[in-house]
Amino acid sequence: MSLNPPDEYMDPTDSVAVPRKTARRPATLEGTVITLLDISKAKSDHLLDRIEELLRERARPQAIVRKKKPTFARPAPDPLRQEIVGRTDVLIEALAD
Amino acid sequence: MPPGGRPIVEPEAEADPIEALYARGVTDGLPVVPPTPDRVRRAIEACGRHGGDLVALVPPNYGRATVEKIAVNAVMAGCRPEYLPVVIAAVEAVCDEAFDLHGVSATTNAPSPLVIVNGPVRAALDVNCGAGVFGSGRRANATIGRALRLVCVNVGGARPGAISMSTLAHPGRYTYCIGEYEEVSPWPSLAVEHGFGPQDSTVAVLAADAPLGVYDQRSRRAADLLATIAPSLAVVANHKMTHWGDTLLVLSPEHAQTIAGDGWTKADIRRNLFERLRRPVRDLVPGKDGGDGLPEHVLRKFRHPQDDETLIPKFRSPENLKIVVAGGTAGRFSAIVPGWTFSKGSSLVFRKIHIP
Repeated sequence: MSLNPPDEYMDPTDSVAVPRKTARRPATLEGTVITLLDISKAKSDHLLDRIEELLRERARPQAIVRKKKPTFARPAPDPLRQEIVGRTDVLIEALAD
Repeated sequence: MPPGGRPIVEPEAEADPIEALYARGVTDGLPVVPPTPDRVRRAIEACGRHGGDLVALVPPNYGRATVEKIAVNAVMAGCRPEYLPVVIAAVEAVCDEAFDLHGVSATTNAPSPLVIVNGPVRAALDVNCGAGVFGSGRRANATIGRALRLVCVNVGGARPGAISMSTLAHPGRYTYCIGEYEEVSPWPSLAVEHGFGPQDSTVAVLAADAPLGVYDQRSRRAADLLATIAPSLAVVANHKMTHWGDTLLVLSPEHAQTIAGDGWTKADIRRNLFERLRRPVRDLVPGKDGGDGLPEHVLRKFRHPQDDETLIPKFRSPENLKIVVAGGTAGRFSAIVPGWTFSKGSSLVFRKIHIP
């Protein structure tokens, strides 16, 4: 093999893809609206029931809202995203099994 | 350099092109062909399209798969320039909403897109349909499947261990591409069954686990052979999984001749297997022969599920059983390729290959 590589190679990645950032975390959960999103995995509801119980005990949120994706295998449909966006301060999405 | 490209390594930064590309994290673990501007240009020219044409947005990161980006990955995979139309069609197919590439690329399950090639393009590009069809040794199969994988990773973002979280995956994530052996099949091809003409060249993509061999060297009647094949299909996903979707049965030419010799069509095979693969609710209750079984929302429909005789189908419909003939003309060995195709999941998707 040549030890003198060509001047340049083409980039196989999508160089214009926007890097994803996680949302800013609030300092406290007190007084917030929290959405618990069930992704439809088996026993998601068990896990979220317990999380809701603990949040009500410890965090004093304004409200806890429960939502569910139709299937874990696909992204949440747009109408569901729109229901969540703007109406919640914190989203907790739970895997299970 | 074609428009829009940018260099990813300077000559003084790295002397060895193979190592330089490893260092960029853009390989599948095997060495790649350095995507020089000349090689990429030749591939783009061979497909008769503009490099900047957008083919698809590739989940889960929805990167832009332009003709040029696909060409870069195809070159890296080792494709000849004339393979590019096939790779482009495969990228279009996996990005169809019905394929659910987001789920396929991110799931903890093991699927990889299996590319099934039909039509005259098989002979034109020397796509293997015969002996060792799932194995190594043929450039078209090896590199077309590999190019699709590289696009999924480099454009779609499906990096193993980061976004692609498959617990086990399988070797088809290096490459997974077969042709149907139409010339020895006694039936219409998979593509013709789905509405294409025999002169159309197509790809079909199935989100698929690894092939499972089914050996039967003694059956000489269709009914006997299908009685062997059915229990092997019954274990797809697990032996109590039901309502499964698209799954591929790859019949070897000898097995196909045995079945067709009794006058059976593909539809006859599907109907026979569908009916054999139903099981009563009582056998599918969680806790009997394994902790898995029918989900709660199904069990709730039966007053006494542990005694209920209602038959539940393994596959949602006979049409979910997809059949191709492939493999060497000697050998009574077929294969099942399980789909990752539970309800609301992925389905088989076709695209016509546009050859300039």
